[in-house]
Amino acid sequence: MKRLIPWILGLVLVVWVISRMLPPKDAHGLDLNGFAKLPVLVGGRVMPMDTLARLSLSGMNHHGTYTTAGRMVEQPSQGLLDVMMMPEHSDTAKLFEVSNQEIVDLFGSQDAKGQFVSYSFNDLKPYFSEIEKQAAMATQADSETRNPFQRGILKLRDSLRLYLQLKNTIQAEDSPDFGKEIEAFQMVIQPGIKAVRDRDAGKLFDNQDFERIVLFTQRYQNLSQAKYAFAIPSPQVPEENDGWQHVSQALLSAIGHGQVPYPVLAYCRMISAYRSGDIVGFNDVVREYSDYLSKTIPQKLDRAKIEFLFNHAQPFLQAMALYVIALVLGLLSWLFWPKTLGKTVIILLVGAFLIHTAGLIVRMYLQGRPPVTNLYSSAIFVGWASVMLCILMERFYRNGISSVCGAVIGFGTLLIAHNLQLDGDSLEMLRAVLDTNGWLATHVVGEALGYSAMFLAGLIGIIYIVRGVFTNSFDEATSKSLGRMMYGVVCFATLCSLVATILGGIWADQSWGRFWGWDPKENGALLIVLWNAIILHARWGGYARERGLAVMTVFGNIVTSLSWFGVNMLGVGLHSYGFMDQAFGPLLAFVVSQFVVMAIGCVSLEHWRGIKARGRRKESDIPVLTTDAVQP
Amino acid sequence: MTSKIVQLLKPFTSPKLTIFCLGCAMVLVFLGTIDQVNIGVYEAENRYFRSFFLFFTPPHMDLRIPWFPGGYIVGSLLLVNLLAAHAARFRLSLKKIGIVLLHSGLILLLVGQLFADLFVDLESQLRLDQGETKNYSESFYFDELAVIDTSGADSDQVISIPASRLSKGSRIDLPVDGLRIVSNDYYPNSALISPSQLPQPGYPHLPVGPMAVAVQLEKTYKQNERNLPAADLSVFKNDKLIGSWRLAAGFPRPISFQAGVKKYEAVLRPKRFYKPFAITLIQFRHDRYAGTDIAKNFSSRIRLLDPSRHEDRESLIFMNNPLRYRGFTFYQAGFDNNDQTTVLQVAKNPSWLVPYISCALIVIGMLLQFGMHLLSFVKRRVIA
Repeated sequence: MKRLIPWILGLVLVVWVISRMLPPKDAHGLDLNGFAKLPVLVGGRVMPMDTLARLSLSGMNHHGTYTTAGRMVEQPSQGLLDVMMMPEHSDTAKLFEVSNQEIVDLFGSQDAKGQFVSYSFNDLKPYFSEIEKQAAMATQADSETRNPFQRGILKLRDSLRLYLQLKNTIQAEDSPDFGKEIEAFQMVIQPGIKAVRDRDAGKLFDNQDFERIVLFTQRYQNLSQAKYAFAIPSPQVPEENDGWQHVSQALLSAIGHGQVPYPVLAYCRMISAYRSGDIVGFNDVVREYSDYLSKTIPQKLDRAKIEFLFNHAQPFLQAMALYVIALVLGLLSWLFWPKTLGKTVIILLVGAFLIHTAGLIVRMYLQGRPPVTNLYSSAIFVGWASVMLCILMERFYRNGISSVCGAVIGFGTLLIAHNLQLDGDSLEMLRAVLDTNGWLATHVVGEALGYSAMFLAGLIGIIYIVRGVFTNSFDEATSKSLGRMMYGVVCFATLCSLVATILGGIWADQSWGRFWGWDPKENGALLIVLWNAIILHARWGGYARERGLAVMTVFGNIVTSLSWFGVNMLGVGLHSYGFMDQAFGPLLAFVVSQFVVMAIGCVSLEHWRGIKARGRRKESDIPVLTTDAVQP
Repeated sequence: MTSKIVQLLKPFTSPKLTIFCLGCAMVLVFLGTIDQVNIGVYEAENRYFRSFFLFFTPPHMDLRIPWFPGGYIVGSLLLVNLLAAHAARFRLSLKKIGIVLLHSGLILLLVGQLFADLFVDLESQLRLDQGETKNYSESFYFDELAVIDTSGADSDQVISIPASRLSKGSRIDLPVDGLRIVSNDYYPNSALISPSQLPQPGYPHLPVGPMAVAVQLEKTYKQNERNLPAADLSVFKNDKLIGSWRLAAGFPRPISFQAGVKKYEAVLRPKRFYKPFAITLIQFRHDRYAGTDIAKNFSSRIRLLDPSRHEDRESLIFMNNPLRYRGFTFYQAGFDNNDQTTVLQVAKNPSWLVPYISCALIVIGMLLQFGMHLLSFVKRRVIA
């Protein structure tokens, strides 16, 4: 029975987490999920409406939710549905969040003393011209020198623009009934074209028909200024994205061939049904339109559906939850019931790792790319590789340390990824220079593997120092096995980062005509290689033993974090795809914390509780230099 | 005798020296990266990596105090250290083969980079408008004073003088016709403004034309800006003044003068690198992802014309796919002028193969070394 406890505990938790990954049931009988799966082209890629809703909302407020005027929190796709089809509803929802007090003061509102103040579109209407004016001035300042007020006002202006664009994605928002408008438009097309042709040919023409078609043309040309999301697919070229149209473009080209395309009509019927509260009718159109898509663009529809499920499953958040539980149990296992808890931790870690892996694979499928394409995905991948290393090491050492390391790094990197995700679409299209799967799969993945190993080694270093200085449980065997673990991981890190850096050089030679150009990102990779070389030579030369190795691997954390994120903050160089300017504070805090750990590690051995407990005074008493030490 | 050499080498064989050099290299790389924000990659490369020392200049003093070894010193020390260590301890054994391969790869890489550094042409750019043909590329960093003998029937003779040699008061004797150029004034960087825009009437400036004067600017190191020098020059023939002119790189229109029977032109312009062949831009394309401004691809369809080698063909240059011809690499670096102009970066690197070989050695060496470690580790595990 006792042997079964870890399995029961572990599996219950894993199943609980998996159960949270299913999409929610539709409330009120409305086929909201059906709408959320419909494909739309945004930012050069086809995504489900659900993703568009999530991205848009998280740009408008920090929690990325849709809270109606009646304070009901709804699905993001419900929000997008309202914005697109019933804007008078969403105009009253408190969507726009302002965190800067000076901006709040601009609107003269008194009630604002909290961190975030939320406004609805209608609340902000009186201030549109002021916001535009302030934003126009803010754009004149260099992006690095903008103050929080200027950054905030630009963000608010962009959110409002996006909101207007979304309102005009599948209809003209000022139309009282867009379905009727399109019916009228269809009646006008044929006679209108005839009138235009007659007029051009110098014949008699019907002036009323002529004026009508001109009016519609102007109206849809105006509407096309709001184009952002392209909802009308092109069945002629199902594989390509170039044929997708904004509703205005579809209507304008309808003048050419005399027929309004079916998707526009389908959306019109959806709008009419939704506005009149005809749930059954709405659901019927959604189903009918999905059937049409599954016949014309089956692959795009399938991807959109999978992305919808992926959005709801949030595999990385679920994995993060399991990593946290594993971490807590793992730390407890160092103190109590090491066997039972240790085993539970491994089961949880493997469960989390499998969910993590599944998420990674789905992302690769959705993007059609190797795993690392931007900073966000590098964080996901670095975590994944570290956890895999930890699981492998735990098999060898079975000391409960590797599994704790895995839980820490898994949780930490996914947390970083979660914060990076707030910047926008994490499945974005790749900049031109990155558009090559071969190098992405080798050089970039290799660098990420190097980062994972560096952080893993550094974490073992931290554990070595903390356990050695602060606990009594630090016996010689632990010290030795931690030392071997660090050494092995550093070797792996050296191999990965050196090979990857070299591959990067070859890529640079292939595409830029030079092997090495001292570009910041190249230099970052070089710093990691150099530091690893120093660690290995110090160990081989006998200058650094286990404690030295621990302190040096902790410094490796600093080198790696600077190379991973720091160089992107410089804003210079050719690797411009990963630039970012936030997160300087957290990075600095991390670097300082690592220096603190290093300082603790350098404390005289007399103060190491772990060593005192062993009754030893000198580090040299501990035999360290193993037989496999190599001298050149 | 041998023991004496070993004695002599001893201080250079220490792994401590290795660690010291690697540490210095880290400091250099770190500083050289951070400083790119201020001085750009090119200047940072010169100051930190292609130098013997880093210099510190105290404010308001004309001193250059070396305070840290530069790239050349660190690299050479590392090289000496590697060679000495292997010379002193070299024993051929299967166990060491990984280490030996790895380090010989490193030696090759260091030597190769040093060699490349000494002999490689500077990077330059080839800017082509739609339909334009050029047989030269231009430096992004350097300017030249070109004195062109235009009296030849079908070819010009060009004498190029680096703009940096035109500092105020300098005299340059040209190897033809007893010509001498004297610099009366020189601005390393300048801006062209209209005479009415001068801050005050007596503000120092060089009148470049009726509509424009050049005023001195701070030298710039920004990534996308270049320095535009301006100079006030006098031309002498056999110590007799022919004339004086004000030239500005921001307004590279040649002036002409007569020296004896020959006609000359002079112009201050970006330094040119002439090629034994010509390139015409047929079409530049800038593809974007549907419905966005995100670049999907840049490509230039060009025509390569090399009569001496009987080549006349079209080629497509795009991201990750440069044109390699006669030792030059042309890659797509940018575009300008509303997608009407392509900017190709031109690199020449005769030792391009060296990194490939050394990298192969390093990788094989490392795989052997760590592979043997892993094997012995697993073996011990199995026995235990």
